[in-house]
Amino acid sequence: MAQQATKLVVITEKVLLRDISKILEASAATGYTVMAAGGKGSRNTRSSGQPAVSDTFSNVKLEIITANEGVAREIAAKIAEKYFDNFSGIAYLDEIEVLYAHKL
Amino acid sequence: MEALLEFFTRFLTQFQSPTLAFLIGGILIAALGTKLEIPDAIYKFVVFMLLMRVGLDGGMSIREANLADMLLPAFFAILIGIVIVLIGRFTLALLPSVRTEDGIATAGLFGAVSGSTLAAAIVVMESEGISYEHWAPALYPFMDIPALVMAIVLANLYLRHRDGTSEKVRIWPIVKESLQGSALSALLLGIAIGLFTQPEKVFEGFYDPLFKGLLSVLMLVMGMEAYTRLNELRRVAHWYAVYALIAPLVHGLIAFGLGYIAHILTGFSPGGVVLLAVIAGSSSDISGPPTLRAGIPTANPSAYVGASTSIGTPVAIAIGIPLYIGLAQAVFGI
Repeated sequence: MAQQATKLVVITEKVLLRDISKILEASAATGYTVMAAGGKGSRNTRSSGQPAVSDTFSNVKLEIITANEGVAREIAAKIAEKYFDNFSGIAYLDEIEVLYAHKL
Repeated sequence: MEALLEFFTRFLTQFQSPTLAFLIGGILIAALGTKLEIPDAIYKFVVFMLLMRVGLDGGMSIREANLADMLLPAFFAILIGIVIVLIGRFTLALLPSVRTEDGIATAGLFGAVSGSTLAAAIVVMESEGISYEHWAPALYPFMDIPALVMAIVLANLYLRHRDGTSEKVRIWPIVKESLQGSALSALLLGIAIGLFTQPEKVFEGFYDPLFKGLLSVLMLVMGMEAYTRLNELRRVAHWYAVYALIAPLVHGLIAFGLGYIAHILTGFSPGGVVLLAVIAGSSSDISGPPTLRAGIPTANPSAYVGASTSIGTPVAIAIGIPLYIGLAQAVFGI
């Protein structure tokens, strides 16, 4: 039942969420998870929960699980190329073991 | 001399209004390191409630209004939106240690309109018993959208000239992005519902009674937010602080002058003139930043959001609103 897979994690600005979800939907990945994220990075401190002006200073964390590492790298490259020059963001890969992988 | 003294007395009494007290209180407790937190969801809901109330009120009164009266103030609103950005382009953006695109983005944000400042002015005016055309808040998009479009176009022209790229600036996505912003959506929906349906009961029973109370919560949040964003402003050139201190009042006074012309030509009410000055003096806090972020991605949001939220908005509310009301009382004798 268990299956090796790749998890791509992208932490970036909430204002990009709509555009990034378009990239994800156009990709071969079958789904993704979005969480509110806070913390501190090289650009500035991002709060989670307190009122933030128009989401300009809010972050999200996206997780995308795919069976194919190439797909994950391709998505990360697209996002990084388009946004990471001007927006804060980081992307990393994780090798994971998916249990009950009938949906992958 | 006596008129001047009377103006200052009236100006000082404005400082005792609860709207300003909550704003200043918010700044104060944030400076003292309060652990008080108003959740983000409540803040967003309060903004929706206030703009829906202002929109419904506006929509219901447009039904009876003579639309021709709106033409000149609407034209002035567009003009002010554009002029504010040009002023910023040729003052702030040319200063040393200010990156040109950051300066233009800041000017765009100061040209755009803040729904919360507008709501604060309405509450202060209603408690003072100053009447105004209830369609006047509908001038909001006429100033907001041209200012944001102008800033994004100017910034992109500058960047294209500097980098030699030839990417065309498309206007429609900017307009669409502004209209989809949470503040403007709520306001325009309110106007449409007020105009085409009979929302009197829900307005009188729900939106209107809650208006003042919710505004006090919003003012508290904005005060706390202003203090927090000072940190952002500290990272950028000091010129932003100077601009944020002076610009709201200059913009408001320009609008007051144009509003006065509209008063003479078409009988625009003194209350309407004050509201036009308030929306010109306000800088967008909710819908402007994401539009600018998308339109001028290389501009540093710490510069424009910091300048607007930490200094621009408190100045526009705490000094601007009493100033224009005092001025209207002195000029129009209301």
